[in-house]
Amino acid sequence: MKIVGVLLVFVGWLLPIVTLGIAQSTGARLFLALLGIAISLAGILGVLNKIHLKSAVWKV
Amino acid sequence: MKSGKGLKRFSLAVVMLLVVLCGLPVWAQTAAPAPASAAAPPPAPGPKMDVPLDAKAAQPPSTDDLAKGDPGGTKTGTVNDVVPADATKGVTLADVVNQAGQNRIAINFVWTLVTGFLVMFMQAGFAIVETGLCRAKNANHTMMMNFMVYGFGLFAYWVCGFALQMGGCAPSSTLGGANPLNSEHTITFLGKTWGLFGQHGFFLSGATYDVAVMVLFLFQMVFMDTALTIVTGAAAERWKYAAFAISSVFLGAITYPVFANWAWGGGWLSQLGANFGLGHGYCDFAGSGVVHGVGGITALAVSMIVGPRIGKYTRNGTPNAMPGHDIVIVLTGCFILAFGWFGFNPGSTLAASGNGALRIGSIAVNTMLAGCTGSFGALLYMWMRYGKPDASMTGNGLLAGLVAITAPSGFVSTVGSVIIGFIAGLLVCVSVEFVERVLKVDDPVGAISVHGTNGLWGVISVGLFADGTSNYGGSWNGVSGSVTGLFYGGGASQLVAQFIGVGTLLGFVFALSYLGNWVIDIIVGQRSSAADELEGLDIPEMGALCYPEFVLKPDAFGSGSVKAA
Repeated sequence: MKIVGVLLVFVGWLLPIVTLGIAQSTGARLFLALLGIAISLAGILGVLNKIHLKSAVWKV
Repeated sequence: MKSGKGLKRFSLAVVMLLVVLCGLPVWAQTAAPAPASAAAPPPAPGPKMDVPLDAKAAQPPSTDDLAKGDPGGTKTGTVNDVVPADATKGVTLADVVNQAGQNRIAINFVWTLVTGFLVMFMQAGFAIVETGLCRAKNANHTMMMNFMVYGFGLFAYWVCGFALQMGGCAPSSTLGGANPLNSEHTITFLGKTWGLFGQHGFFLSGATYDVAVMVLFLFQMVFMDTALTIVTGAAAERWKYAAFAISSVFLGAITYPVFANWAWGGGWLSQLGANFGLGHGYCDFAGSGVVHGVGGITALAVSMIVGPRIGKYTRNGTPNAMPGHDIVIVLTGCFILAFGWFGFNPGSTLAASGNGALRIGSIAVNTMLAGCTGSFGALLYMWMRYGKPDASMTGNGLLAGLVAITAPSGFVSTVGSVIIGFIAGLLVCVSVEFVERVLKVDDPVGAISVHGTNGLWGVISVGLFADGTSNYGGSWNGVSGSVTGLFYGGGASQLVAQFIGVGTLLGFVFALSYLGNWVIDIIVGQRSSAADELEGLDIPEMGALCYPEFVLKPDAFGSGSVKAA
């Protein structure tokens, strides 16, 4: 699952970059940049952090 | 037996890391260097430069005048002090012109070096802020992490970090000299050239044994070390020293330089404007993103892997307060950092003469104001929410304001800096609560919020508050004109470039930091043992107590209340 989380984080970064050639308007680029940030945050906070919390020292 | 195994694993990891680091230059040097630029056109004819000037016409002070002393400073520094290339010929126009050029570069050298020295002194500020916010039983360990991160980072940066970051940067007109840093590894994607990392300057050898490169190295190195020292605070009180050492070398050798290349070394982020019309590309004047964002995001990755301290959370996940042991050194450290920031931001012009560098006055005032309003914001938030003006959070508010103004300091007005700083002061308090209570990530000093959250806020604020009045040689990142944000009529394109920078910090820097530290965790182990943590890391890890005249008496969860012996 950690690999999935890292991949999600990575995809969030790549999304606005690989679409730079397709999305020409500033509005579309802004939306894709924000979407990418949201995906990366979901990977960090929603996936990776939850995995670490499962085995947190205060739960053991 | 167990420690012997650990030592073997640690030694193996260090050897592997050194092999990788030392292999990088060889690998990179095999790539073809950038094509040489077209031959420069012949210079236009001008006045004869080698004709001796009539020095007496400049009315220099006589020997008798000089013998009387110069209390008013009007006779010191005249034509008498221009050194002729040929003493038999006397001072020529060429001598005067060369002297003027060297004086400008000398001013810029001294400015950049002295501001770099100020940034270096920030290490002391970070050291005592972090140590003061930790418990007394870990003071030696925390200080030693902050002390040695300077050495680990410097060595890694000299080996390969600087080359990866600046090895392909455009010539710095403010520091003059030759341009040996002229080889960037690039790829072609979407029909554009994307700079990925530099290839010249490994070990500062070859053509990079150059006076201007040395000045640039010193300045960039102390910036890199600032990023490294952020992580030590977030993972303090439970981070194994060996893991810290390897993690710091990785950050200083690979993670930081790669992102810094993309932003400052001519890499693809800086070219978003020239290639895709996104404002002036990613703009980060002094490093809210490059330095503090990278440090704060890495701190988050490491803190997640290391896990919270024993006793930080109860079994139902409610956080316990674990106050630091010395608020005096915390606030003294904050003052040292605020002082050092006058090197961080104004020094990032790399000049005090020419190329619009006189904006250093404005940059220094912006820095001062944002730090001030950052502390206001945090103080007001804590006072209104908890009924007391909390000292450590007010200190963190000051730092948050300074972190946030770092990227926009060269592009915004004083009004903008006041707003940016105040928001940062509020943001750091909200972020600390979110990280502690919602994410349940333990960050003893608030480094993730101060540097990570506010580093990102600083990057975004450029796209909002840049007022379009700066002029550093007429262009920025190869795009002519001034950097202008959304609130000053620049449209949203600059903001998009800034958001792509934020996305890169979250998506690339976090992923790389997480993977690197995950591997370190598997090989060496990131976390100290529970017994060591409860005892305090000073004796088990460092072999000596920081305060031997005090008796450390562990309480229920080992927070180590202190009593005088």
